[in-house]
Order: sequence, then structure tokens, then C-alpha cells
Amino acid sequence: MQGRVLMGVVGLTLAVLALAIDGGAALDATQYPDWKGQWMRLGSGQGAPWDPAKPWGAGQQAPLTPDYQALFEANLRDQAAGGQGSDPSFRCIPTGMPRVMIAVQPMEIVITPDATYVMLELFSTLRRIFTDGRDWPKEIEPSFAGYSIGKWEDTDGDGRFDTLVAETRAIKGPHSYDSSGIPFHEDGRAIIRERISSDKTNPNVLHNEITSIDSALTRPWAVKRSYRRVPVKEPIWSEYVCSENNRHVQIGSENYVIGADGLLMPTRRNQSPPDLRHFQ
Amino acid sequence: MPMRGSISLVTLIGALCATLNGVRALDETKYPDWKGQWVRANSAEAAAWDARKPRGLGQQPPLTPEFQAIFEANLRQLAAGAKSSDPTARCIPAAMPRVMMAIHPMEIVIMPDTTYVMVETSSTLRRIFTDGRAWPKEREPSYAGFSIGQWEDTDRDGRFDTLAIETRWIKGPHSYDDSGIPLHSDEQAIIKERISLDRSDPRLLHNEITTFDNALSKPWTVTQSYRRAAGARPTWTERICSDDGLAIRIGEEEYALGADGLLMPVRKGQPRPDLRYFNQQTQN
Repeated sequence: MQGRVLMGVVGLTLAVLALAIDGGAALDATQYPDWKGQWMRLGSGQGAPWDPAKPWGAGQQAPLTPDYQALFEANLRDQAAGGQGSDPSFRCIPTGMPRVMIAVQPMEIVITPDATYVMLELFSTLRRIFTDGRDWPKEIEPSFAGYSIGKWEDTDGDGRFDTLVAETRAIKGPHSYDSSGIPFHEDGRAIIRERISSDKTNPNVLHNEITSIDSALTRPWAVKRSYRRVPVKEPIWSEYVCSENNRHVQIGSENYVIGADGLLMPTRRNQSPPDLRHFQ
Repeated sequence: MPMRGSISLVTLIGALCATLNGVRALDETKYPDWKGQWVRANSAEAAAWDARKPRGLGQQPPLTPEFQAIFEANLRQLAAGAKSSDPTARCIPAAMPRVMMAIHPMEIVIMPDTTYVMVETSSTLRRIFTDGRAWPKEREPSYAGFSIGQWEDTDRDGRFDTLAIETRWIKGPHSYDDSGIPLHSDEQAIIKERISLDRSDPRLLHNEITTFDNALSKPWTVTQSYRRAAGARPTWTERICSDDGLAIRIGEEEYALGADGLLMPVRKGQPRPDLRYFNQQTQN
């Protein structure tokens, strides 16, 4: 009898083992959530505001300190007058974290045990969220994607991870939350915390609770962003190369554009031409 | 006693299950271990497409006479200080196949349906589809191109060792290296790669790259090799071209931005840019 029980246990275990070895899909299905495919932001609010639940610009009610609220308002006035405000992305400076997680262009998430890769078409941004149990390095060279450490959680206790909790530091500036130019502090000490999980009823919807902790804020600012999975087996991925058709150039502290004839043009009335002191 | 034996066996099998219950175990049994950070093995300062031959004319690319003439004109321009033939000077991505020189670090992530090649150069992401798909009828050209791959077990040990890839729809303009060896502007180039670990050194990866292009009189095969960086947790860097300052083209002339952010000539006696659209009274 004991022998039969033992053989049964061995047989069952080997069957489970064979299933587990059979492929990445079976493997992901046992331990990690299925986040394969192409994700796009849910909700297409005008101008892609940072908090999708509120209007773009001043309507975001960002909890900025008075100093940074003043900077934000000056930036809005500049934009209203036809300027670029404090949003540097027009010069092909990547939007960086956390703005890139608006996912105005498609996003792919690749989960491996040691790292989760978030590949965003916008500015070809590659995020590595390390889940190998590492500590924060003593020094990190700032980057637009920042440096991220994550941890998987099984919040419903069903034996399978469902939530990726990530923290991102060392984010390079200048950067803003969205195209309205809501600014981050220039000290580069912002910390972004994310909780990414599937919708409880719709596996084709992903939620990301993003909390920004920054010296330009009077308190942490939490927003909830969501993404929907594109329902095709072989999604089309595009390349986003900002420099390819970018007509904006910055020379000294001034922004100019290259006109259709290839020549430099002013961006506002009576703008001074560039300083040519290095020419004979 | 038999009960104790069965418990031990169950424990052993349980431990085995735990080991296999991750992608790592899967990679180890079925796919090669290409984890980590790879950088080109040849560290010569001037990176030439074929690392065994001198840069420039010494590469002896099998170009058609028409494209050989373009190449030589590019070399003359370079000698005069301009970089017009190298689009990367204007932050246009290095593109396939040049990006596979891996001048900057590269990571390869193998998943059953796709192998991802992430190269720091030009923030390039290549998706090599290994899900058995057929070639689509049409694709928008991109600098990374569209790649389909197939795993091979060449030594029949039950584990894949070679990734054979074909890449089409590569966007131009592009050249093999910074000396300006051109690919045809018709964007019909096809790149075939065979990537495999060195037979005796698992820290060395080889990529036999064959280019089929209408600017060539015959296919051009070159082997690129990459060395795995030591250390379990390599440092990855972002390389944002537009953040580094770039060449600026105004009219037919190319200029640089100096450390002070001001416009600089790139050659002696270069004329000032044409500023006809500015109020001449404010011009300095």
C-alpha cells in the first residue's frame, strides 16, 4: 500500500515537473502573472494629463510647494504664449520616469526571475526593475529611466505573484509629470513608488498606482494609471526616433527651429540670432 | 522506515520542483546561458565593421563600383572634418547591422517566443521572434529592422546552442561603421546572423553576420565577437544622443555645439550660418 502511494506521489510530481519544463508559458502561468503582449494607456484624456481622473494643466491640482507652483504657472503662461514652457521633450530629451509610464506609445513587459523589463516605445525607454534581491547601490549615475528595484507580492495568497512593487531613484532631470510642465524638484532626489497589478476581473487591464515623493511637493502625490492589452497575437511594434524629424534646436539658452529650406529660424518675434563668437 | 523513505523522496522531488519553478531552470535545460552584459571583444579604438581588417578602405568591402565611389567620397568628407556620411552624428540610430558591433554594452534576454537584444548604442531594442511566425507581407522599415529567428541544436545535445536570425525592412540611411561604408538606399538589405557561444570559452559570444545588399557585388560575411562582463550585477548606462549635444545642420553646412552651448565651426574657415530670417539689426 505504501509502495502504491509512493508511486502515485512520484508519478504526479513527475507529471507536474514535465509540465513545468515544457515551456516558458507554462512556467509563467505557475509563478508570475501573464503580462505578455502590447499595452496601451487606458483613457485618452486631452493632452495625456498625469492624473487621468483630472483635467490637464492647473486642473491637475498638483500638491506643489509655493515655489514650484509659481514655476509651474510661469511655464503655463509661456506655453499659452506659444513657448515650450519647462517641458524639455521638444528637444528630444526623454520624458523619463514617471511620465513615460503614461504609455502614450505602446509598452511591453517582460518578466524574468531576476528583472522585469519595461520596454516603452516612447523615447525607446528601457526600464530594468531588478527583482534579484539586491540592495540600493551606494552611488547611482542618474538616468531618465532611473534605477528601479522591485519585489513581487502574492496579495491574494493563491501561490502566484500578482503585484509588482517597484521603487525608482536616481532620475535624471529636467523632467515634468506631463506635457503641461508640472515640474519635479531640480535636486534630482525624487522617489517613485509603483504597484503594478492586473485588474481583478479583467486580465486585459493592468493598473499602476504611482506615488511620487519629491521635494517640490508638499506631500506624496499618488495617481492611478491603467493600461489595456491590445487584443492581437502579433502586435506591431514601432520605433520612436525623436531626433529623426526634430526641427527644434537649442543654441545657448535660446530655442530655434530649422525651417523647410534648412535654415535657422526664430521661434518668436524679434528673437536674437545665435551668438557666433566662435566664428571668424 | 518505508514511510520515512517516501517522505525524503517527496522532499527531494519538492526541492527539484522549486528549482525548476523559474525561468532560470527553463533556460538552463533548453536554451543557452547568454545572461549578463556583453561588449565587443575587439577593443580597438576605431571600431571597424570587420575587426580583423583596418578601418576605412582597408575593410575592402565588396561594393559595386557606384557605391565604392560613394564610400570614397565619404572618406574624403571625413578627412575634411565633416561627418555628413555618418547619420549617427545627427542622432540617427546606428541601425542594423552596425549596432551589432556592440560598441556599448548589450543584453540578450531569451524568452520562448522572442529573444530581446538590447544595445545601449542608440537605445536599440531588437525583438527576434522565435514563435514560428511567417514573414508579414509588409512592415514599416525601422532602424532595428524586423527579425525572425530560429533556435538550432547544432551539436545535438538536447539544448539549443545557436540562434539563426534573418532581419529585413531596415531603415536607411545607414552605414556599416563610422567610416561611412554605405548600404544601398533602396532599404532592401537582408541581414543573416548566427549567434553562438565560443566552443571553449562561455564568456565569449560569436555572431557571424552576412549582409545581402544591392550596394554589394556579393554577400559580405563578418564575424563580430562579444565578451561577457565579469560581475553578476553589471552597470547599465543610458545613452541619449540628443542629451549629449549633436551636430546641427543649417542649410548645407554642419556645425557643432560647444561646451558653452554656442555654435562652433567644424572646420577652419567655415562660413557663418545663413541667418537671413533674423532681424539683421540684432545680429552680432
